[in-house]
Amino acid sequence: MDRAQVNTGEHYLAPLTPAPSHDALLGRLGAYWRALGVSDPKQIAALSEQALRRLPDHAESTDLLTAALLAARELLDDWLARTLDLPRQPRVLAAARAALLNGTIPNWPAVLFTPPDDAARDVADDLRVALAEAVPASVPGAMPTQRIELFSLLHPLHRGSRQDASSSSGMSHS
Amino acid sequence: MTEAMRALTKGPMLRRLIFFLLVSLTTLLALGLLVSVFQTGGFSPMELLLLLLYTILMAWISISFWTALMGFFTLLFGRDRWAISQRSASSDSAALPRTAILMPIYNEDSERVFAGLHAIHQSLAETGQLENFDFFILSDTRDPDVWVEEELRWQDMVQALDGKGRIFYRNRPENTERKSGNLEDFCVRWGSQYRYMIVLDADSIMQGSTLVEMTRLMECHPQVALLQTPPVPVNRESLFARILQFAGSIYGRMFTAGLNYWQLGESNYWGHNAIIRVQPFMDHCGLPRLPGREPFGGSILSHDFVEAALLRRAGWEVWLAYDLIGSYEEIPPTLIDYAKRDRRWCQGNLQHLRLALAHGFNGLSRLHFLMGVMSYLASPLWLLFLIATGVEAFIQTRQETIYFFGENWIPVWPVSFAVEMTTVLLVTLTMLFLPKLLALLLLLKDSRLRRDYGGMFAATLSVILETVFSVLTAPVLMLFQTKFVVAILLRRAVGWPPQQRGDHMTSFKEAALAHGGHTLTGIVVGVLSYYYVPTFFWWFTPVLLGLLLSIPVSMLSSSIALGRKAKELGLFLTPEETEPPPVLCYLEEHLQENEPVLPVLWDKPTSRFLQALTDPYVNALHLSLLPETESPGKRRRHYLEGLIHQLEEEGPGGLSATQKRDLISDPDTLLRLHALFWSRPPINAGMLP
Repeated sequence: MDRAQVNTGEHYLAPLTPAPSHDALLGRLGAYWRALGVSDPKQIAALSEQALRRLPDHAESTDLLTAALLAARELLDDWLARTLDLPRQPRVLAAARAALLNGTIPNWPAVLFTPPDDAARDVADDLRVALAEAVPASVPGAMPTQRIELFSLLHPLHRGSRQDASSSSGMSHS
Repeated sequence: MTEAMRALTKGPMLRRLIFFLLVSLTTLLALGLLVSVFQTGGFSPMELLLLLLYTILMAWISISFWTALMGFFTLLFGRDRWAISQRSASSDSAALPRTAILMPIYNEDSERVFAGLHAIHQSLAETGQLENFDFFILSDTRDPDVWVEEELRWQDMVQALDGKGRIFYRNRPENTERKSGNLEDFCVRWGSQYRYMIVLDADSIMQGSTLVEMTRLMECHPQVALLQTPPVPVNRESLFARILQFAGSIYGRMFTAGLNYWQLGESNYWGHNAIIRVQPFMDHCGLPRLPGREPFGGSILSHDFVEAALLRRAGWEVWLAYDLIGSYEEIPPTLIDYAKRDRRWCQGNLQHLRLALAHGFNGLSRLHFLMGVMSYLASPLWLLFLIATGVEAFIQTRQETIYFFGENWIPVWPVSFAVEMTTVLLVTLTMLFLPKLLALLLLLKDSRLRRDYGGMFAATLSVILETVFSVLTAPVLMLFQTKFVVAILLRRAVGWPPQQRGDHMTSFKEAALAHGGHTLTGIVVGVLSYYYVPTFFWWFTPVLLGLLLSIPVSMLSSSIALGRKAKELGLFLTPEETEPPPVLCYLEEHLQENEPVLPVLWDKPTSRFLQALTDPYVNALHLSLLPETESPGKRRRHYLEGLIHQLEEEGPGGLSATQKRDLISDPDTLLRLHALFWSRPPINAGMLP
């Protein structure tokens, strides 16, 4: 690591804001929703308000801005878990989020605000298809370590006595 | 025993008997000539050393020579009736079993890796057998930026090819036992779901029809556990690589045919472009660690030879399908990269010295081990031979010739051994260069092949130039390999650096650093031999010239412009260049067009690591691909906490690659950093709105 490249004058991330204003919170949340693909200002406002209502759940553990963003993500995860009937596990929910954000369902924000109907079910089906499947289900098998007896001039003398000692390691240097 | 079985066991034995008889006789003949020179007046210790070295080196050259000669006759007569492909009763209509195509990767160029897989996939789809093959990208990548890039490229490939449930990706949390551990991890987790696995290298390309044919051949031969195809070097444009591609293509086909001729079902495994029967591999190829410490102890580095030997030990057959085309690989683009690759392979091959005498292995497996060792040990032995020859020549010049003995007034003229010495030299040179001539002769037989190599004149000129080039580079490689061998013998472990696979020019600085010592050696040895052993000096000039010109040769041969110019002139052409097979065209198309489906891949950010922290999609995808692990303990949490603060304060430039990897390996940290970056965007980075 080249320490000379490190800026010690100021921190890399913006300084912590102890008590951000409501507008500041809405501003950051808005930017985040836009990054997620929500472009309608009304939808952004509604989603941000919903996220802020969840703030008391997070505010004790971290700063308000971070808590607001965690709440926004949780809001989305809740919707995904309900829509896709998923267990609330971080990796599963992350996979659903990735499926939602990979561009296969361009109008997904609209579905968030519609009651469960055929269109929502179609979106859910599309999302299930888009869920990444990195690896197939594991079917554990065994690959026992092989025994290789390396050559030694003393091999005939030591062969008998070493068999027991080396059986656990799978390798014998007799 | 049936007649067919009897023939099978007799055929290989007879072939091997002929082969080893020829190798032994040639070695003894050459040795006899040298002994006849030395024996007058008895053998000095130096002469005995020379004889010993010459015997070993001659045997090594003989193996290569007779292999080439047998390959020449095999190709001349068109086919080998014992070849595995000739003994096939395959039916195109028979259903194929499930086969996994594995690509183990380690910090590679992701764009090239996935373009290659894409090409293989496309080629396989054309065979109509795609549904029988699953793709596994088995990543051991440690670099956090490359890791995230791989995940995105994998997801892009899945979406582009509708490959969900067929194209898989995983990154191992720990790259225990390197490539062999990577494959073992696959076998233990998913191996039992597949009858076969086809192992590729990061730069492997295989034609779909070849993959299907390999699977069919395995189905026809249930006693075969491993089928190796000969990978033909392709796709490089530098002059160095094009010369090597030409040599690998025109001579390689002869050597592989020759290897198959005498090895048959006791062939070897070269680590990639091979199909393996999974169950016997799992049963017999779990590699132990060698006792003692590195470089000779510890993990088995060149695992492929050992796996083949273990399969043979268990009674399974290992074949080289020399006549199966459509198997390709890429080679290092420059002389220095070639030497770097040698450095990695050298330690693994020298380890085989211990295994060659291990109990229970078959005779040919031992020979494979020894041949692997000799691939690198030959260099220091040649160097020693040259030094010993120089010293012996110097001693000879110091001795005064006595014409009159005692009272005898008739002069006794010194006996000249010029004829014998010239014969020794001619035999050695013939064995080294005749295979090149034979490869040219084979072109006379096949007009299409002749055309593919650019015509008889261009091919002949290419062989001559390739010979000059190999004469110039041989001393340089000899010194490189000697250095590696000595370093390893002094127990200085060789690292595992990733290869720089793409074409690139060698700068003067790089060449001077790598070859400065070679040039200096050339000057010193040249001056010493010129003044003290002038007769030896002139014999030694090809070696000296190679050393003196090592810097310009290394630089010029790395030139892509020269490589292209040579191609325009019809030099060093290979069939794959003259008429590229579809799978290589697909690769080229994917690399040129490169229009990813995923929008996040349209731009190339400075850091995929940062993108995994900031981009909601990349963050979610990366998190979803992390393996299930236990929650970190208290100490680990404190460590991660410290890294988060370090990142907050110093930015990503303040973290090492390992620290960055640690940060994005933990799900909670990843989520927290994502929120942190969005709540407190970097001051100067301008990466977030």
